[in-house]
Amino acid sequence: MLKYIIPTMMLMPLTWLSKNSMIWINTTLHSLLISLTSLLLLNQFGDNSLNFSLTFFSDSLSTPLLILTMWLLPLMLMASQHHLSKESLARKKLFISMLILLQLFLIMTFTATELIFFYIMFEATLVPTLIIITRWGNQTERLNAGLYFLFYTLAGSLPLLVALIYIQNTMGSLNFLILQYWVQPMPNSWSNTFMWLACMMAFMVKMPLYGLHLWLPKAHVEAPIAGSMVLAAILLKLGGYGMMRITLLLNPITDFMAYPFIMLSLWGMIMTSSICLRQTDLKSLIAYSSVSHMALVIVAILIQTPWSYMGATALMIAHGLTSSMLFCLANSNYERVHSRTMILARGLQTLLPLMAAWWLLASLTNLALPPSINLIGELFVVMSTFSWSNITIILMGLNMVITALYSLYMLITTQRGKHTHHINNILPSFTRENALMSLHMLPLLLLSLNPKIILGPLY
Amino acid sequence: MLGLCGRRLLAVAATRGLPAASVRWESSSSRAVIAPSTLAGKRPSEPTLRWQEDPEPEDENLYEKNPDSHGYDKDPAVDVWNMRVVFFFGFSIVLVLGSTFVAYLPDYRMQEWARREAERLVKYREAHGLPLMESNCFDPSKIQLPEDED
Repeated sequence: MLKYIIPTMMLMPLTWLSKNSMIWINTTLHSLLISLTSLLLLNQFGDNSLNFSLTFFSDSLSTPLLILTMWLLPLMLMASQHHLSKESLARKKLFISMLILLQLFLIMTFTATELIFFYIMFEATLVPTLIIITRWGNQTERLNAGLYFLFYTLAGSLPLLVALIYIQNTMGSLNFLILQYWVQPMPNSWSNTFMWLACMMAFMVKMPLYGLHLWLPKAHVEAPIAGSMVLAAILLKLGGYGMMRITLLLNPITDFMAYPFIMLSLWGMIMTSSICLRQTDLKSLIAYSSVSHMALVIVAILIQTPWSYMGATALMIAHGLTSSMLFCLANSNYERVHSRTMILARGLQTLLPLMAAWWLLASLTNLALPPSINLIGELFVVMSTFSWSNITIILMGLNMVITALYSLYMLITTQRGKHTHHINNILPSFTRENALMSLHMLPLLLLSLNPKIILGPLY
Repeated sequence: MLGLCGRRLLAVAATRGLPAASVRWESSSSRAVIAPSTLAGKRPSEPTLRWQEDPEPEDENLYEKNPDSHGYDKDPAVDVWNMRVVFFFGFSIVLVLGSTFVAYLPDYRMQEWARREAERLVKYREAHGLPLMESNCFDPSKIQLPEDED
């Protein structure tokens, strides 16, 4: 594990000690090499996880998330290069340091064995994200957004701390690898009900669950592009990952405790998809689309069947890449028009045809077109929820239709039609932007050829 | 033909900034008058109609100074090197070598082994008349239960 942590830590002195002209080149180069080494984690066994040490382990669930985390850092650096070009050198280096710190905490979160260590790193990821949102966001609403983001997550996770310490006292250890074998069925009682809620609420807020999702549109919209990318692609998945780990300890009361949350998620995914159809702000649309997709993941994790777990893992990775790509596309619009209103920069297909091709691919994967991994994830979730309860097929089907509707709405509004005269002189797409989009899309397409690595531990 | 060449030469001369004509002369065969441009040497005037409704004054057009800009940096040399680094390390190394690595992963999660082992066990059990699968996971005679408490 040190082979990932130490190079990531060393990216910090690399940023601060590089020459002015070389900071972006050096950091992008080395973060790409770190992402190459992350593929070594794919040496997974069928009967055990990769146990690096007492502190770190990585199994088929954390491996794809780790690879996604380490792949995303160079992409975030490339995406931020333009809007930071006017900042002072120290500010640029500070921004990159925040991204590297976030990467470090995320790596340690996903590989933590000890659940308190997981909790500390889980909370630690909030700090660099908050700094990125509030310092480098573009509008005044970023302060409010940072507040919502920080306090929603903190309020949800404080009970988790209490619950984890209680488990440590009763079970004797919080080492996840040991807990797997020591776990006893949890009898039904009021205190265990609250224990279940305490364990799960942190991750529900993070995912986010429909009723607790208010922080997400604010944070995603106000964050700069790197912030939006990391929020949508990774930080949401922290919630899913945490839920999949902690549900191990919470059986069998999950069977009935999960009902309110499954209902909220099933209803919420339709609601948030419908809200997407009414959005004028492009980033806000993508943010609500994230809530909708994550609601599917919540349902999948709570019904706890093998296929639903496979679907949840696949959907997390697929959504990470797709959502991050959509935010990059929205940012390429924003950098030209300085507005997030969708209809303000419409008809872009005639002006920027290659970028329109990326928009098309991103929208198609967002609406889960076969044979992308988005479809594999959604299909597994739909199938497993159907076998759990036949009626859910109506809601799932409705959600897929509305997802297709708003993805196509976003595509058609931004790309098709006559372009407005005031964007006649927007700059052609940069190589940087096209490279960024293809670096998002190619792993997504390659994974559809070999999805077994993202199907999680129950494959 | 000559007229076309002449027009091209005139256009070339105009874009190069050279005056198309240096003295004023009138054609004897037609009523054409060729005169040096009054705009020669003067900068083009600001467009009176703004294309952008709300132009950002600090918007930097990277293509202005460097028409071959890749979008990374103002300095063309740094820009080109950044592009090369991204493409080489991003695509040629990580995507290509990475996908090769993933494609040739040996028996991910022992799936192929599991299939072979299952087939081997089925063959053995069929050959020896043993049931293919027992409903007991563990041998019940080896489980020691605690004494029944009354």
